[in-house]
Amino acid sequence: MIAIFKTRLIHLRKHIFSFIFWLILPILATLFVIYLTDKLQEDSKIPIGIVLEEDSALSNDLYEVIQENPLIRVYDVTEAEARIKVESHELDSAFVIQKDYEENILEGKRNRLITSYRSDMSFAYIPVSEMIISYVQQETGRAKTALTVMNLSENRANTWTADEIIAKSKEIQEEENLLRTSFSYQKTHQSVDEEKESLLNNWMLWAIFSVLSTLLVSDWIIKERKAAIAVRYAFMKYSLKSYMLQNLLLYTCAFFLMDLLAVFIFHFLLDEPISLQLILSLIVFRITVNLGSFLFALLFRNIYFYYVISFIISLILAILSGIIIPIEGNVTMLNPIHAFSQHSLLNPWLFVFILITVIWIMKGESDA
Amino acid sequence: MLNVHSLTKNYGKKTILQDISFTVSPGEIIGLVGENGAGKSTLLSIIATLTKSSSGDIYFNDLDFKKDRKAIRKKVGFVPQDIAIWDNFTVEENMVFFEKLSWEKKNNNQLKQLCLEMKLDKWKEPAGTLSGGMKRKLNLAISLIHDPVLLLLDEPTVGIDLKSRIEIGTYLKKLAKESNKMIIYISHDMDEITSLCDRIISIGEDPFYQEILQNNGKEILSF
Repeated sequence: MIAIFKTRLIHLRKHIFSFIFWLILPILATLFVIYLTDKLQEDSKIPIGIVLEEDSALSNDLYEVIQENPLIRVYDVTEAEARIKVESHELDSAFVIQKDYEENILEGKRNRLITSYRSDMSFAYIPVSEMIISYVQQETGRAKTALTVMNLSENRANTWTADEIIAKSKEIQEEENLLRTSFSYQKTHQSVDEEKESLLNNWMLWAIFSVLSTLLVSDWIIKERKAAIAVRYAFMKYSLKSYMLQNLLLYTCAFFLMDLLAVFIFHFLLDEPISLQLILSLIVFRITVNLGSFLFALLFRNIYFYYVISFIISLILAILSGIIIPIEGNVTMLNPIHAFSQHSLLNPWLFVFILITVIWIMKGESDA
Repeated sequence: MLNVHSLTKNYGKKTILQDISFTVSPGEIIGLVGENGAGKSTLLSIIATLTKSSSGDIYFNDLDFKKDRKAIRKKVGFVPQDIAIWDNFTVEENMVFFEKLSWEKKNNNQLKQLCLEMKLDKWKEPAGTLSGGMKRKLNLAISLIHDPVLLLLDEPTVGIDLKSRIEIGTYLKKLAKESNKMIIYISHDMDEITSLCDRIISIGEDPFYQEILQNNGKEILSF
């Protein structure tokens, strides 16, 4: 094995930069695509201006609620700026949280709490204003309820303050939210928190790039089988098949080290959790992809044709993965990386690849 | 000693080799001549254990080609007609690469010495930039790394300059006589064959080669 490792190093020295490039491509490409989609998401947010005329708990709460909306990008502006920016269409619309907002809310007043500016190009004005109005109504309703409860409990010994009642109502709202949505990926029980929802599954995206890079790095199989040199292996300590299988093992180890690097990078940059299940499923994934690429490369003599087919295969896998267009049902089972997307340790493709490899080895033994 | 007895090779209904018998003793160089398609390379391939014969027996000392192929391969050096080297490697890297995969372990000095013996002195040059003659020498040197007893060469000097051809011929003669190697050598160059080989085997129905080789004082076997 050490001898094979040394011969591989001689080969790799000749194209070390391209080898490293393909090794790190899945990590870099995944981070790039995630960054790009995040940026696109950010750029497609509706720009609105907020003018805060008072610094109170309720006005700040409203401000935060608007800011937390994933479809809205909030700019702090003065009223004068708001007018200019709405007029020049830099902002879709602007909302002024009026002075005495909190006082008016607590007194149950519902008029002239917010002033808005819009232009003839304010396409998102209505949904944004509806959202703000609904929140304000929620706050005024809560305040009115507090006042009612206070009035009812006037004659009791245990009296509550308005603040306590409001805090209690918020607590109840948290516990018994009337409208709560949770969803999970198909056939999984783990629900996904709405706030953590992302357009792309980071690991699935990485897996697609990883398949592509593994296929492209596996071109050594075609180059070294095609060479006139292949005949020499009959007179060497290692048969061509033994040489290739040991190299496959070396490449698999090199790729797996990069997989582990991906685990740590994604943990720190994308908040992907690290678990034993993930590491084990990565091992299964790595063996499956490398073995599959190895067997696939064995089918080719023309290296350029192999490159073209490799890109097509990666594209097909991306489609089957549902990254490009949503796909459901049994067709996803055709995807060798489907099992990895669920961090499963059972991948039927691995058994198929192992079986074909065993047949290939046995066929070689009888030919030798 | 290599003993080939009544060797026949058929491809379907076509007989390529029929009833070939000869022996090769240590230190002897045997030339294989014949027109294209006569079966020279097939015979060499059978002796190299790369192709199976249809009938007949071959023994290498006490090793039977039907049973002991792996053991025989350790003792065989095969120089293919196509230059089998890594063009993007230097001469040194080529030698080290194949040494790592070889049965015999040799250090860099020994590998370099092997090259120098056949006047291949461009140790650090990329093989792709070498002349045809130098590439042929490297092709031969790689086949000698594991110190084979039986050396099989399929047109090892085709397409190279006279100087390199003479250097390779001189080296092979020295190798056979001093190291007691058995050498079987295919060539279309009759001058080379007659000057280098102790005996000549002519294969094929065309009497052309036999007529040319007459009166050169060498033993000729015809099949």
